[in-house]
Amino acid sequence: MTEHGSKQLSAIVHDLEERAKELKCLYKIENILNNQDAKFEETLQSVVNFIPPGWQYPHLCQVKLILRDNVFITEGWTESKFSMFRNIEIRGKKIGEIYVSYIQNPSQHSEDIFLLEEGNLLKTIADRIAHFILHNDLQHIFKEFKSIKRKEKSDAAGDWKVVLDMIRKTDPTLFMSILRKLLHQLCLRGNDEASVLLSQSSIEVKIGEDRLPGEDNRPLRKKVINNYDEYINAILRLSYENLSDDELLMKIQKWIQEDKSIPLVRILESRESTLAEISDAIRKYYHLAPEKYELSPSMIKGLRVSLLRRFFTEDLNYIRVAKDFVKLTDFYKLIDKMIYTPTSQGKLGGKSSGVFVAANILEKQADVSEILKNIKIPKTWFVASDCVLAFMRYNNLEEVLEQKYKEVEELRLEYPLLVQMFKNSPFPPEIEKGLSVALDDFGNSPLVVRSSSLLEDQAGASFSGKYKSLFLANQGTKKERLAALQDAIAEVYASTFAPDPIEYRAERGLLDYHEEMGVMIQEVVGNRIGKYYFPTYAGVMFSNNEFRWSPRIKREDGLIRLVAGLGTRAVDRVGDDYPILIAPGQPNLRVNVSYEEIVKYSLKKLDVINIESNEFETVLLQDLIAQYGEQCPGIYDMISIVDGEHIRPANIMDDLATSNTIVTFNGLLSNTRFIKKSAEIIKTLQTSLKTPVDIEFASDGRDFYILQCRPQSYTREHTADIIPRDIPSDRVLFSANKHISNGKVPEITHVVYVDPTKYSELPDKDSMLKVGKAIGKLNKLLPRRKFILIGPGRWGSRGDIKLGVSVTYSDINNTAMLIEVARKKGSYVPDLSFGTHFFQDLVESSIRYLPLYPDDEGIIFNERFFQLSKNLLGDLLPQYKKLIPVIRVIDVPAVTNGKILRILVNAEIDEAVAVLKDHGGELESQAAKSPGFSAYSSEDWKWRNNMAEKLSNGLDLDKYGVKGIYIFGSTLNASAGPGSDIDLIIHVDDKSWKKNELAEWLEGWSLALSEMNYLRTGYKTEGLLDIHYINDQDIENKNSYALRINSVTDRAKALKIKGGSK
Amino acid sequence: MAGKEFNAFEMAQAQFDKVANILNLDEGTRELLRNPLREYHFSIPITMDDGTKKVYKGFRVQHNDSRGPAKGGIRFHPQETVDTVKALATWMTWKCAVVDIPLGGGKGGVICDPHNLSMREQEQICRGWVRQMAKNVGPINDVPAPDVMTNGQHMLWMLDEYETISGGKNPGFITGKPVGMGGSLGRTEATGYGVIYTVREALKDMNIKIEDTTASVQGFGNVSQYAIQLFSQLGGKVICVSSWDQNDQTSYSFKKLEGVNLDELRKITDKFGGIDKAKAKEAGYEVLDGGAWIEQEVNILIPAALENQINSKTVLKIKDSVKIIAEGANGPTTPEADKVIFEKGIWVIPDFLANAGGVTCSYFEQVQCNMNYFWEKDEVLGKLDLKMTSAYSAVSELARKKKLYMRDAAYLIAIQRVAQACKDRGWV
Repeated sequence: MTEHGSKQLSAIVHDLEERAKELKCLYKIENILNNQDAKFEETLQSVVNFIPPGWQYPHLCQVKLILRDNVFITEGWTESKFSMFRNIEIRGKKIGEIYVSYIQNPSQHSEDIFLLEEGNLLKTIADRIAHFILHNDLQHIFKEFKSIKRKEKSDAAGDWKVVLDMIRKTDPTLFMSILRKLLHQLCLRGNDEASVLLSQSSIEVKIGEDRLPGEDNRPLRKKVINNYDEYINAILRLSYENLSDDELLMKIQKWIQEDKSIPLVRILESRESTLAEISDAIRKYYHLAPEKYELSPSMIKGLRVSLLRRFFTEDLNYIRVAKDFVKLTDFYKLIDKMIYTPTSQGKLGGKSSGVFVAANILEKQADVSEILKNIKIPKTWFVASDCVLAFMRYNNLEEVLEQKYKEVEELRLEYPLLVQMFKNSPFPPEIEKGLSVALDDFGNSPLVVRSSSLLEDQAGASFSGKYKSLFLANQGTKKERLAALQDAIAEVYASTFAPDPIEYRAERGLLDYHEEMGVMIQEVVGNRIGKYYFPTYAGVMFSNNEFRWSPRIKREDGLIRLVAGLGTRAVDRVGDDYPILIAPGQPNLRVNVSYEEIVKYSLKKLDVINIESNEFETVLLQDLIAQYGEQCPGIYDMISIVDGEHIRPANIMDDLATSNTIVTFNGLLSNTRFIKKSAEIIKTLQTSLKTPVDIEFASDGRDFYILQCRPQSYTREHTADIIPRDIPSDRVLFSANKHISNGKVPEITHVVYVDPTKYSELPDKDSMLKVGKAIGKLNKLLPRRKFILIGPGRWGSRGDIKLGVSVTYSDINNTAMLIEVARKKGSYVPDLSFGTHFFQDLVESSIRYLPLYPDDEGIIFNERFFQLSKNLLGDLLPQYKKLIPVIRVIDVPAVTNGKILRILVNAEIDEAVAVLKDHGGELESQAAKSPGFSAYSSEDWKWRNNMAEKLSNGLDLDKYGVKGIYIFGSTLNASAGPGSDIDLIIHVDDKSWKKNELAEWLEGWSLALSEMNYLRTGYKTEGLLDIHYINDQDIENKNSYALRINSVTDRAKALKIKGGSK
Repeated sequence: MAGKEFNAFEMAQAQFDKVANILNLDEGTRELLRNPLREYHFSIPITMDDGTKKVYKGFRVQHNDSRGPAKGGIRFHPQETVDTVKALATWMTWKCAVVDIPLGGGKGGVICDPHNLSMREQEQICRGWVRQMAKNVGPINDVPAPDVMTNGQHMLWMLDEYETISGGKNPGFITGKPVGMGGSLGRTEATGYGVIYTVREALKDMNIKIEDTTASVQGFGNVSQYAIQLFSQLGGKVICVSSWDQNDQTSYSFKKLEGVNLDELRKITDKFGGIDKAKAKEAGYEVLDGGAWIEQEVNILIPAALENQINSKTVLKIKDSVKIIAEGANGPTTPEADKVIFEKGIWVIPDFLANAGGVTCSYFEQVQCNMNYFWEKDEVLGKLDLKMTSAYSAVSELARKKKLYMRDAAYLIAIQRVAQACKDRGWV
């Protein structure tokens, strides 16, 4: 280390030592002043004695305190010119002074004898003493008053007058405030004279001149109190006449208490006050007025509202709910877990607000509902939202703020760099200090760093998963842990400027909103087992069930997605795994019933934190259970044993290493109160917050924790569509009003309709099986997620196939929506399956399900459209020509003049409707407003088409032995989305085809296009081209893709080629 | 109306008529065997969890019990029809007869969807079913078993209700119970082993040493795994097996010319018999298209997955080296493919013979329950071997002597046995 460096270091160490001394001094003084038993003089003398150790040169330091007529000094006080002082004031009135001085000049540089902090410290001490004096005065008054009262019981009228007299002498401001309140009290009782007194400033004003305020538009004349004593006497007289002695005393006492909260109120109301000042005020208030419950309800509410506004949000809905549940104590606890800069005025952000109010609601309700007891919130620290600004200012990164107005492509290009820039920037010392304290508090428990931005979880925008949440193993030395924590926070900060959330904001018109990023640092709920750390179970619960698997389940029965390990797998759709689904309102109706279903749709993996490698990992449950099962608390509530075809609960007698175990949570559901508790939590929060909720939870096998709580309707995929009332009925293909679940359905270009009557008339089982096979083929041919399947009864019926087309999940996995039609048969309507056979596959791949009851009253079912529109089946699948009457494949734009089909669903009103609309027509504007639509959808196919043309133009035909290139699929029919690939058919000449060279050349294009697409849209793909080779033979035989060249629907288009004559 | 709706029972009757003609059965026997002996339709009223009442429709069909108590499953299915149940009961009669166990054919069910029912409600349905049928079922009358959407748990509820009514312990009332609760050991192995017992006998007849043979298996579920296990133990070599890939939603074939290693594959297989592609490659398996299993140069094909796998198209891919097709699955071969196979001279061991190990083991379960004495696994499997071997011999002998297709021979034997029993009893 250089000499300069070591000097700097020693300077820092010195500074820190000084700060520690100051804190210690303040703490001691606080203790002394809070000691109620000590005598007044002794207390103040002790305060004086404890001040010198807080200064830079204690051995030279002396203190003198002058208070009214009293003087307190440190031993051997002498006058000195090296001195500083502060006034001691009560309500702006000076009552004394405090001096700190050095006997001799302690330093060579005369101008900075005292540190800046020492000045502040002395001011704090002076204020503290002032409060103490005020408090003491009041105590004194009351004591005096009580003794008078005891002596002269008869003369009650004099009692409170004595008190007021004393207050008048010592604290005129308080006196006036009490008078005002007395006057209000009198008015409230309907005392006419008092009312006059209130509206006039003086009783002398003649009644005749009176006019009611607000009757005309002139500003009211300000009344000047000109006869002060008379005014006071009038009030006192009225009080004496109208209020009982006891009542008056009680009230006065209470008002004196309330008066103490005024500094806090003032700070909260001031727009300029910083979080530091607010915290300070809360802390002081808390010490001064431990008897705060004596405050009036309105005062308490006012304080709560102010605090909520300053710490959390100005959102009125939030405040309206929260103010009834939070306590001042909660804020007192909160301020100790907050990290902010000295000038910070930020808030804690959306996520913090949600969990804070939820925790308080549950705590309050636990008094009346036993089951809500002991619901915990993980230990959490909060970083104020504007620390991100401080961080950027400190590192001169402010220009990044304008990033949001850049083009998305540019953003995407710059983002990785930006992340690195943030990660390599140091934190301002005060934040670093705060984080360091937080880490000491956490120890080495694993942590999750969650974003909690101001916009997050606000009305209409959930930002669900848009900003980062990062898990930290939090292992190693303090230095390493701090570095990792800062790294994670920097990454969360950087995510404010990530392309996805910015695009998301742009779509919702939130771009100009001043976004700040608060951060929650939360202890991860869980246990260390082996080298892993994870909760026994975790998940999400929703008030509204949007995935009902039985008609017996109502929407308000709710939904729980439960997983083992970290809740990340429950929050996101995982595709390759199946969280356990439970409807808390109908816990006994399970999705999976038969042995095969239970085994197939059981959980297979879990997310954990690997303590040894400091990584977030996904591991196989089977392996984990075999290795560590018995160490895992609550394991027997989680797993079942598969014994032949019998699934039974596991217990201590089972050897988990060798048994065939599956995760069912059967024990948790049947042996514990988990379901009841969850249902109660959902109900309580929903009732209190007056909105359906979406809650994240976790358990370490012993306690139950709430991690997050937000309104469910803001969750992107659960928002209900707005169904216009004025859709012309000739544009409606079908409508439904039963068992509707919310969920976005993409725009539909193709309809596959299995005619129920024709299907039931098929002669034999084989023909019916063929229908299923044909559907499977169509599923591969039609554009993914752009077509719907409508069929009779149960799709995928495995028993008697008469009432449903026999398909497996892989036969339908590309559809956007699965629709089952229940036609009346005589007097009864058959039960629909609600997709139960592959229900969980549908859920995990976001395929929507809709039951139709065409014979119900008021339902539109445009059978003619399905029966009479041009059927493409014969052209698409010539081998299934026989089924043309049964299966109808309709190209919607082709038969409706370019219209497409939109299916609007709204579970709130239990309605769904399928409407034909123009591409970009009147419904479009509304669709664009509602969330979930990419702003780029129309650009995607154009860009792809453009690129395909460029590619074909650049292809050397002779070199690679190519005869032609064709484009088909989503790019051609203008339905390509941001993640679509480009489907190309390459016609090769068998003789001159350079197979490998061509493949390599195309692979290069594919990867390059994929990267470009990523920059445009944020969709990552492994190459963008989907190439199919055909030769002359194929064309002749009309094999697979060769068929496309002259296909009727989805016909491949020849691309222009260099020197192209073909 | 253009065509008639597909009706499983009519199909079963047509199949019977065909064989009855060959056997030249008299009119009375035909009339008797074309239809069930008894058919019960009844209502099961249930109090639902929310206090409402609901009435479910239940069935039991006893097609024929001339050779012994009726035997067959109970299905819970929302689209259950009595025609399906009648057809399935008929097939149970033939199945029990072909393996020559002293049981008749039955089937039952309830029209309900367990997906819409809680466990308690399902229990009520089970108990309600037994209350309605208790007089007409039992260890010496009619023995139910699990079927579509019912399992060991349902069987135990039914048994408990039956024992409450009958006032005694009667574990032989029902089969498919868990081991330790009246279930039999060897149940998991039974079907797969049964397939190989018949294969072994067929090879003996052909004078081929099993050690010199290779096989290709479709599917990697329970039946397939135990078939591979026993076949390998006997010295044969399975060189290809196909399995369904859950993630890719398609199947793959896994090939290893020196023979697949069952234990090795089981370690990389999920619970539904899906083999991990990547790990299989690492272990030296060639990963092929799902249809590749059928085009292997092997001596034995064992389709043990789904229906209709050997059809007019795939049958053409079968190599000339193939001598035997043993049908582990139900209905893997279509009638068109049957013709080709017959012409090619491939020896087929038909499904209801090859996979009768399961029902035989159920019979053993009942026998053990009735005497309240439970055998060790070896004993169960030993007796199973005997039963399968003699059943196979009877069918193959008939086929050889009368130059019949194996499937036809099996039906002839089964129906002949049942017809004879009815006659002997003086029914017809």
